[in-house]
Amino acid sequence: MKLFFREIKEPIETTMIGNYAVAGGVTQTDPDVICAFPITPQTQSVEGLSDVVHQGRLKAAFVNVESELAAMSFSTAACAAGARTFTATASQGYLLMTEALPMAVGWRVPLTMMISARAFNSPNLSIWNTWEFTETNSEIGWNTIVSENVQETYDAAILSVMISEDSLFPTMFIHDGFIISHSVQNLTLIPDETVRKLTPKKPRHRITPKKPGTWGGIVTPSYFMEFRKSLDVDKEPVLGIMEDVFDRFEKATGRKYNLIETYNLDNSSKTAFLTMGSMSGNIISWMTKNKDVGLIKIRTFRPFPHEQLQKIVQDHGLEKLIILEKSDSLNGMLPPFSMSVASALYPLGTLFRSFIVGLGGRDVTRDELDIARRKMENVTDMKGKLYMYLGVRETKDKIYGVNM
Amino acid sequence: MYDRKQMEEILKENVVNLRFHARGGQGGVTASNLCVEAFYGYGICQPRFGAERMGSPTESYVRLSANEDLIRSNEQVYAPHFVSVLDPSLLSEVDVIAGVPKGGWLIVNTALNQQEIQEIVGRKDINIATIDATRIALEVLGRNITNTIILGALIRVSHLFTLDELADAVMRRFKDNIAAKNVEAIKQAIEDTCVYDIGIQMDFTQDTKISWQQVELGLPGYKEVDKAGVWYCDEETIPVGSDQVRTGSWGEWDIIWDEETCTDCAQCWFICPDFAILREKGEDGKYHMIGIDREHCKSCQNCLEVCPVNAISKQLKQGPASCAVPEEELKEAN
Repeated sequence: MKLFFREIKEPIETTMIGNYAVAGGVTQTDPDVICAFPITPQTQSVEGLSDVVHQGRLKAAFVNVESELAAMSFSTAACAAGARTFTATASQGYLLMTEALPMAVGWRVPLTMMISARAFNSPNLSIWNTWEFTETNSEIGWNTIVSENVQETYDAAILSVMISEDSLFPTMFIHDGFIISHSVQNLTLIPDETVRKLTPKKPRHRITPKKPGTWGGIVTPSYFMEFRKSLDVDKEPVLGIMEDVFDRFEKATGRKYNLIETYNLDNSSKTAFLTMGSMSGNIISWMTKNKDVGLIKIRTFRPFPHEQLQKIVQDHGLEKLIILEKSDSLNGMLPPFSMSVASALYPLGTLFRSFIVGLGGRDVTRDELDIARRKMENVTDMKGKLYMYLGVRETKDKIYGVNM
Repeated sequence: MYDRKQMEEILKENVVNLRFHARGGQGGVTASNLCVEAFYGYGICQPRFGAERMGSPTESYVRLSANEDLIRSNEQVYAPHFVSVLDPSLLSEVDVIAGVPKGGWLIVNTALNQQEIQEIVGRKDINIATIDATRIALEVLGRNITNTIILGALIRVSHLFTLDELADAVMRRFKDNIAAKNVEAIKQAIEDTCVYDIGIQMDFTQDTKISWQQVELGLPGYKEVDKAGVWYCDEETIPVGSDQVRTGSWGEWDIIWDEETCTDCAQCWFICPDFAILREKGEDGKYHMIGIDREHCKSCQNCLEVCPVNAISKQLKQGPASCAVPEEELKEAN
C-alpha cells in the first residue's frame, strides 16, 4: 500500500495483490466515506484503505460498523447525502446486506462496492471462491462488472465510480476470492491526476436541508408501479453508458475494455468457451496450445449484454458454446449465469451446455477444459440435462463424468 | 544449472514454476513476491490459499514467463521446477518434492550435504543446492531471517533474474539500511551456495501435472460423504481433524511442566486450545496432570500465563523455527 501514501505522478509498473490494488484504486477516486465490515477474502481491501486514511493521504470518513447490514445501510445513506462512498463484502456478508441492497438502487445513489467472490455456507463453511453474487440479488438492479486479474480489478475500482456516477445506479465490481484477491500480479497504476479527471464529483440529487423531502416513504398501489417502470426505463441506457465509460478510460490509460471481450472466435470448430472472471485467464493460456476453440469473456454481468452477445454469436457463426460457471442452482434448469446466457441465446437456438466447475475454491485446470470441449463435440441438440458438474469425486476412486 | 542465455531461451515459450516452503513468519510469501518483482517478464505469485499461522508450514507459488498469455492462467502450480525450502525442519514434515520433475532443483537452507538430503526426501533424480542461510542471516543481518538469502541460491542455479534485478526489488520493498544488508547477504549467498548438479536437464515443454490431481482421488466422493455435510466424531468419514495436525512443530518454545510445584488445579487444562495438557485418572479417582503433549503444543503460552503457582515455564527451541520470535521476547529469554 505504501505506493498509495504519496501522489502518483506517472504510470507505475508494480506488483500487488488484488485487494491492495483495489484499495489503491479506490483511494485514487477520492471517496468521502468508506464503510465496510471485514470478511475473508475481502479484508485487505478495507485494511488498505484504513492505512491511507490513517496516513492522512485520503481525507475520508472511515466508519466502523457492527455488521454488513449496517455497512450497506450507512453507505447508502451517506451516498444519498452526497458523499462518494465505497464498501466491500463477500459471501455471508453479502447475504446480510440483502435487506438494504434494493434501496441503493431505488434512491439512485452512485455507491460502489467490491465483492471478493466467496461461497455461501451450505452445507459447510467455505472461505474460498464461488460466484455467490450470481446466485442471489442479481435482479435487484445493481450494475455488476467482473474482473479477470489484478490489473482489471484495479481498473474496475475506478471504472465503477465512473459508471455509478454517470448512470446513477450503484455498481459492484467482482473478483474471484483468493485467486485474484490474494495473488500477486503485475499491474500498471494510473497517475492520480488522470483518475481525478476521469472521476470528477458532479452535482446530483441528494438529501439536503435546503430541499426537504421524504426518502423511501410508503406509497399506495396508485404509485408503486410507476416508480418501478421509471427505474426500468432509466436502466435501459446503462450498457451504453458503460461503453462510453470504457472509451473514455481507454483514451486516458490505453487499456481497452468492453462489455464482452472475445478471443479467437473465427476458429475451425465454430465453438467457444463462455465465462467470466479469473477462469478466462486459464482458458487463454490453454488456448496457446488449443487453437481450434474460442473464448467469450463476459465483463458486464448486470445489466446482461444480451443483444451484444447475440450479435457476436451471429457475426462469427458460432454453433456451440461451452459455458463454464462457478455457481450452481439446486432448483433450476440451469445455474444462474448460464440462465442469463440461455435467455440471450433463445432466439438464435445456439447449442450449449453448462459446466459447473471450481466451487469452493477447487482449482480449474486444463483437465476440465479438455473434457468440457470433448463432451461438447458430441452435443447435437438441446435435449436432456443441460448442465453437469466437472471435477468432482463420485466415489473414492472415480471422478464424476470422467472415464480414466 | 542454467546460465542466463539458456534461461532466457526457455522462458520465451515456456513457464517456469517455483515453490517456496517456509513456516509462517519466515517470509516465504515475501520471497516469492520478490521473484515476481525482480523478474523481467511476466509473473504471478500465489500463496497456498487459506489461513496462515505463525510457525505452521506454508507454501507459496510463482509462475514466470516472457509470454504474457502463458502467465494469464490462474491455475495453481502442480509441477515446480525449482523448490526452495527456508526451514530444514520441513524436509521431513512436508512433501517438499511433490510434483518436482526429473532434473528439478531442490534448494534448501541447511548445513546437510547432498546424500543426507537425498535420503530424507527419498529421490536421487533431482538436483540439489544447499545454502547455510541461517548462518549468513545471523552474520550479516543479525537476525535469523532467511527469505531473501535463499533467493541468492536460486539466482546461482537458475539465473531467472540477476543480482541487480533482485537488488532493485529488495530496495523498493525494504527501508534503505535493511535493504542494503539484505543485498549484501544475497551476494554472499550466491558465492556460498553448494551446488550438487547431477547433470539431468528438465524438459520445460512438458508440464508434469498429473491429470485430475486437483480432484484428490482417495478422499470420499459425493456418493460417500454425509448427506448434511456433518463430520461425526465417531466416524472416519473425513480423514482430517485437529488431532491429526502436528501443531507441535509450529511453536518456538518448549513448554516445561514442573510436577513438584503443580497443584493439579487444571486451569491450564481448561485454557489449552489444543488439548495438549495430558491428564490421567489416579487411584484416588481424581484426574492428575501427567505432562504436556509435545506433538500438539504450539507454544501459545496460555498455560504459562494462567498457572497460579508458576509450575509451567518455557525454553527456546533449538533450530530455525525460533526466527519467528519477536526480538524483544528473545532478549528477555536470553
